[in-house]
Amino acid sequence: MNSIDLKSILNFSAFRPEPDDSSASWKKRFPAEKTVFFGLGRAMLSWRGIDRSGKPGELESVRAEPKEILAQTSDHIKPLAEQGWCAVSLNTRYVISLETNLSRRTGSEEMLKSNPRGVLGGRYERGKRYALTHNPETNSSILLTFDEDQTRKTESMFSEAGFRVGRVCCGAYVLLKHALAQTNTEKGSEKSANTFYIVCCEGAVCALVQDQDRWLELRSRTDVYEEDLTPITDLLAPFHSRLSPEIGITLVCDEPMEELPDRLAKVFPGRAVSDLSQPALLASLMIQN
Amino acid sequence: MQITERQIDDFKSERKDIAPPLPVVLRLVPLLFYCSIAVAVILSSIFAIQFQLAVQKRDSHKAQTASLAAQTQDAKNQRTALESQIKKATDIQNWVASSRPLQPLLVEIIRSMGPRSSIVDLRLDREAGNPSQIKMGLRMGTDSTKQLDLTVEKIALLNYRAFSPTQTLGRGELDYKATLVHQDPLRQQTGEVSQ
Repeated sequence: MNSIDLKSILNFSAFRPEPDDSSASWKKRFPAEKTVFFGLGRAMLSWRGIDRSGKPGELESVRAEPKEILAQTSDHIKPLAEQGWCAVSLNTRYVISLETNLSRRTGSEEMLKSNPRGVLGGRYERGKRYALTHNPETNSSILLTFDEDQTRKTESMFSEAGFRVGRVCCGAYVLLKHALAQTNTEKGSEKSANTFYIVCCEGAVCALVQDQDRWLELRSRTDVYEEDLTPITDLLAPFHSRLSPEIGITLVCDEPMEELPDRLAKVFPGRAVSDLSQPALLASLMIQN
Repeated sequence: MQITERQIDDFKSERKDIAPPLPVVLRLVPLLFYCSIAVAVILSSIFAIQFQLAVQKRDSHKAQTASLAAQTQDAKNQRTALESQIKKATDIQNWVASSRPLQPLLVEIIRSMGPRSSIVDLRLDREAGNPSQIKMGLRMGTDSTKQLDLTVEKIALLNYRAFSPTQTLGRGELDYKATLVHQDPLRQQTGEVSQ
């Protein structure tokens, strides 16, 4: 035991998870420390400070090459994170797909990190990182795929700018799982949820059709929209003809978009739109989980 | 169906040597450490306060001891003064007691003075080694020796016998010196009978 270990015991940090321990929640890792959350798009970088009490601050964003933005504004952003720890939401260069007949062995979702081939079988590709959400009632699963090189480049980009990356995740996937958890709350198939999930996160859009607890169709695109919301409705409009009449719409955005529910009501006339969006929703979910 | 919102999937490159947090029970170790420091500080404070009080008490006792010593010294001085006065008083008492046998002699000498005579100076000395002998020095204001004869006669009536008498007359004063020895009349009679 050296002096650092002794210090960590005396200041109780040894009883908390290490800052880059991905198995622990952000709140437990940084209970009284300022951190910063980044949203990384293809040509956009957003950031939001998290204060010591875990309250998200104001969102700031710049549209340009993220590396250049980071080089120019890192001095402005660094004070938001005391020790430089940050979480990054990758909103580009990922794939969310609907898969069937993946392994459902116990712990298969956790096993994706250590042995993805064992879970994905023939769908496994070298140099990719995966996350998985199974449908408990059917054999379908939602699979998130990231390019490993791209993830490493992102980590090195933030490291070069003086930040320490504590988490890399996909904002749209986090929001989609949140929406699924909020709407599918009762065990069994007696009370099934029929809804059309629409997830928007800093330019990325993901749409999932759930009918009688079955996941029928999933479409995910990145860098779809900026200020104008028309590309979202254009992307989602073809679903209208394929949706059952009783399916409602569940909308989840990282920040509430005032115009979007009205526009969706026009694109999908006669369907109830349930908006789960809240201010700083993605940041709140990242803090709690 | 039910889908629970679990932990967020993390794609960060994992560090190999990430250690799990220590068990919560072991929080007792730093807690006990801080408690022991707090107790040590409290005990040190109590000790410091007690030490200050003890020092004050010691100084108070020292001052009290010094005051009592001064009072004792005063009492000793007063006692010494009293003893000195007692000694003086005892000396006076002894002197008065020792001079009592001479008082009849003095009275007789004074009464023997005639109308034209006066005592200028009278001195009766007894030596510690030979208290039975009284050295008498008498200076009278008179112009004849009759007064001296009368006085010597009166002295003789008191059973004092004068040895080695000397007298000097001049300028109206008579100076008489002699050694008086008291003779017990009973012993004289016993001596005469035995002879």
